[in-house]
Amino acid sequence: MSETAPTAAETRRIAEVARDRVRFEEEALELSDQVYRVARRLVASREEAEDLVQETYARAFRSWHQYRPGTNLRAWLLRILTNLNIDRGRRKQRTPDTQPLEEGDYFLYNKLESALGNENPNEERVIERLSQNAVVEALAEVPHVFRDVVVLVDIGEFSYAEAAQILDIPVGTVMSRLHRGRRVLKQILAEKAVTS
Amino acid sequence: MACGCDDCETMMQPYLDGVLSDEEVREAREHLSRCPGCDRRYRFEEDLRRFVRVAAEEPMPDELRERLVGLRSAQGGVQPPAV
Repeated sequence: MSETAPTAAETRRIAEVARDRVRFEEEALELSDQVYRVARRLVASREEAEDLVQETYARAFRSWHQYRPGTNLRAWLLRILTNLNIDRGRRKQRTPDTQPLEEGDYFLYNKLESALGNENPNEERVIERLSQNAVVEALAEVPHVFRDVVVLVDIGEFSYAEAAQILDIPVGTVMSRLHRGRRVLKQILAEKAVTS
Repeated sequence: MACGCDDCETMMQPYLDGVLSDEEVREAREHLSRCPGCDRRYRFEEDLRRFVRVAAEEPMPDELRERLVGLRSAQGGVQPPAV
């Protein structure tokens, strides 16, 4: 073996690693809109969401070698983000996660229908009673443990399996929190729609 | 509840999520075809999910996008790979 051969191989390897790293960063950046969409609804303010996304990308770029190519990069990024968010929540002790009183799945519809004051309305008329603002505010009021799952599945459009992987909880827990979380959201929406 | 159908209310989310057994789906469909009250509530739930997804939408600020790009290791030093 000559002395130059390993050096050339080594140089090639370093160049390959650098290329892989750049490719990883490009792929991660392409997902940033989707990452932000979830982050924005996981936390209360835009500033917090921006900080969270920036911190997520800083960490992802530092630990890029821990990502296994070919696996779900979007879920990998969200795993970092939700972990960071949970750590922050613990530090700040923000919303106390009280167990909300829980109504059934028809509660919101029944409230809106009775506010409309006519029997058997078209469901499109019923949904017109809700505003975008009410939805945004209501989401922010859903306790953390439920909101994480609702935001990942219903807004981030992650599958149950992906949400389970991201939050490191069983799929069955994802489903039960999702179902309860949606009911809680509808209950808060019902209060807002009827009082406004 | 308008139609007095507790089972239908309990089945709604699993039904719309597509996690019921074939047998349960048949039962639910059978009931929905006979009960306009439940049928409306199921359609409302589908509309609501869409409405929530759209209402929650807020575009990422350009300034954040630039900050993320600035976090890259390359930052103009290395050429991005030609794909």
